[in-house]
Amino acid sequence: MMRLRAKPVMKGVAQGEAIVSRMPISFTGGMDPDTGKIREPGHDLEGQSVAGKILVFPTGKGSTTGSWQFYAAFKRGNAPKGIINANAEGVVAVSAIITATPMVHQLEKDPLSCIRTGDYVTIDADNGIVEIQKRTAERGC
Amino acid sequence: MELNEKQKHMLLGDRGHGVRKAMEILVAYGDCYGARRMIPVTSVHMAGNFPVLMDEGIEWLEDLARDGTQVSVFTTKNPEMYDFEQVESLHIPTIYQIRQKRIHEALKALGLVLTYSCHHYLVGNVPRFGDHIAWASSGSQVFANSVIGARSNRDGDHVALAAAITGVIPEWGMHLDENRKGGMVIDVSRLPMDTYGPADYKALGWHLGKLVGTHIPVVINLPKDIHIEGIKGLLYTLTVTGAAGLVHLVGITPEAPTLAAAFAGSPPQTPDVVPSQRDVDKAFLEISSSSEEKIDMVIFGCPQCSIQEVQEIASLLDGRTVHPDTKLWICTSRWVKTLCERMGLLERLGASGARVLCDMGAADGPHLYLREQGVRVIAINSARGSYYAHNLFGMDTWFGSTEDCIRSAVSGKWEGRK
Repeated sequence: MMRLRAKPVMKGVAQGEAIVSRMPISFTGGMDPDTGKIREPGHDLEGQSVAGKILVFPTGKGSTTGSWQFYAAFKRGNAPKGIINANAEGVVAVSAIITATPMVHQLEKDPLSCIRTGDYVTIDADNGIVEIQKRTAERGC
Repeated sequence: MELNEKQKHMLLGDRGHGVRKAMEILVAYGDCYGARRMIPVTSVHMAGNFPVLMDEGIEWLEDLARDGTQVSVFTTKNPEMYDFEQVESLHIPTIYQIRQKRIHEALKALGLVLTYSCHHYLVGNVPRFGDHIAWASSGSQVFANSVIGARSNRDGDHVALAAAITGVIPEWGMHLDENRKGGMVIDVSRLPMDTYGPADYKALGWHLGKLVGTHIPVVINLPKDIHIEGIKGLLYTLTVTGAAGLVHLVGITPEAPTLAAAFAGSPPQTPDVVPSQRDVDKAFLEISSSSEEKIDMVIFGCPQCSIQEVQEIASLLDGRTVHPDTKLWICTSRWVKTLCERMGLLERLGASGARVLCDMGAADGPHLYLREQGVRVIAINSARGSYYAHNLFGMDTWFGSTEDCIRSAVSGKWEGRK
């Protein structure tokens, strides 16, 4: 198991299966609140659902109305249960705050190279720690 | 981030649940951008209406207001879905009326000034040069930064409302001098500016938005007598295809009386952008998304029409009649509609078959029910309105000048560029 220090954005603890994107995400237009699926054409997670997962991606992008979309997805049970960003930006941070979704960023190592889709990840944002259990035996970052 | 005693108490919940939630939002938001402290705001504007909020957003607003939480700063509100006094004649479905009423009641409880207008700077929300503000509406935000010289980031509604409630905003981005320096020169001297009307400025803005990236554009060689509608056309469209929050219009923007002042001592490394008329012509055509000649509707008011624009439409329509199969709507604020009534414009426009509607804009709210009422192809003189009506509501759109749109309303077919 790998433990990494991280900076909390929204406190709380969440654990689950990771889904990792190498591309920024826009919640307005980019994620369907009725399914939790990423629907931006050409996105590396296009067609995949982030519902109930630990969502790992570089940063947010797009319309500032994204926090309303994320809130609706959350209330409909289709939001990720934890968020790890390389560097947080305003829309994603606000989305986490208003839904009490545990969120961290600025990890001591790049989360995009340390975490793979399918790894089991625990975000302990109260203590600023991310724990990663690799799904496969590959060497860590 | 450093908080003073009052702000710490807000965060602890001493001032109630709504105030604590607001301060939590601001602290997390400020931390993301490395803000060191909170600064007071003097003016706030909230944007979202039902298509953006959805049912869950309405619940969020109701929850925020439940313990009597109110805004502490002058806060205005963007347009809603329909004219509050025309519910029957617009055939607004009950499901939308119920939701609209809940939004209205929640905003009233929170203490917002219920302008339902996106030209809020024409109806009383006028910051002054150097004021720190939180305007959640990308078009008016860039207008505030670039024309008034007030300072606003591209804040979303949650941040804007949190600022309105607490009276403060994290100090980062556009609030700081060092982030307001120009980063890219745009020289418009090769364009035939003396022939330019608002629609041409919108096409220019569409083209430029795609080029500016994260740079702050500095536009030089604009005509000295450029009309405010030209400035609005350029700025409001730039934020559709780009993310510029501030555009230095040299000789117009208060911080940019000269090119040197726009750079504040550090000239940009990027080469000058010199758009050609061919670029602007290409952009002009790109804004339209339709290929069908017959139009169902002409809609004006993104942003809502000023009294001058309504007067212009009325003169262009005098003695002519809107085609029986085509609607012509002019969306504006209640303030301007009242003026129209007093000045006999409602009657004049009505005689030609046009309607003046208020509390709503031409970009988003009405398309929700217009589509259900069979409206599919629209003509509009706003590039921004065309973009949102097409991308958020699936409308087929034609973009052109006000004159193009009026000729099309009369013939029932698109008469502008295609």
